[in-house]
Amino acid sequence: MERLSSSNEVIRLFVLIVLSLLVPLLPWLVSGIGTAVYQPKKKQELLQREQAFAKTSDVLSTLSKPLSGKEVKEYQVLMTNVVMSPSWIQILVGGILSLFGGEINVFTKVVDWSRREAQQRLREQAAAGGYDEVVNVRMETTTLSKIRGGKDKTTGIEVLAYGTGIKY
Amino acid sequence: MQPQVNIPFSNTETIPGMTITQMMGVVTGSTVRAKNVFKDIGAGLKNMVGGELKAYTELLQESRNEALYRMLVDAQARGANAVVNVRFATSSVAGGAAELLAYGTAVVVQ
Repeated sequence: MERLSSSNEVIRLFVLIVLSLLVPLLPWLVSGIGTAVYQPKKKQELLQREQAFAKTSDVLSTLSKPLSGKEVKEYQVLMTNVVMSPSWIQILVGGILSLFGGEINVFTKVVDWSRREAQQRLREQAAAGGYDEVVNVRMETTTLSKIRGGKDKTTGIEVLAYGTGIKY
Repeated sequence: MQPQVNIPFSNTETIPGMTITQMMGVVTGSTVRAKNVFKDIGAGLKNMVGGELKAYTELLQESRNEALYRMLVDAQARGANAVVNVRFATSSVAGGAAELLAYGTAVVVQ
């Protein structure tokens, strides 16, 4: 009888140890799911939106005047922005990769994704306003940071895309 | 919403259909903004999975409109009636605050 209760104690202790190890790992689990499921889903949605617009020629151009040389009747500065952040897992992997130098693939993907998103939003905004073309498109990237534990910590990157929407 | 300043602006070198007769110099408008603690926590949670942080996207959009508005007020004060070649710049100052700057050339057009 005494032995049984002591083995029960051992099991209880074991369960406690496992639980106390699992709880700090839970955010990482969520982060892993986010990286593996949520991000690809959002990227797929973006791809579909881009494909819907790819049927006609791209309205965005970095030239300061429309190539066709048509007379401009109406114009308006359009701007869109997006703030994106890599997941914890991506930050961890990126941190390890940056020890070796070279291309940090995980970060390239996030920055590329946000830039595509900003451009796509500009296209959608131009379509919603009925603009024929967006000329002089410029893009800006900034990192956003916040203080945690006395040091600046990067929370995300902002991509701004802006240009002049014109109607012929 | 701020009162509207009715000045045409463009990020190209000219205002379509008008000619520039006079230059009034470079005008700027800027603002430094930070998000409140609660939204910061929300963004911190979203940080875990990655992807878009909507709270920050909205914050920066609002602030940039404010910077743009200040630039137009500056242009109006100088007696200009249009602003050309508008550019935006952003920098993070410290701890969650970002500075948004809009600048351009104030001109008189006819």
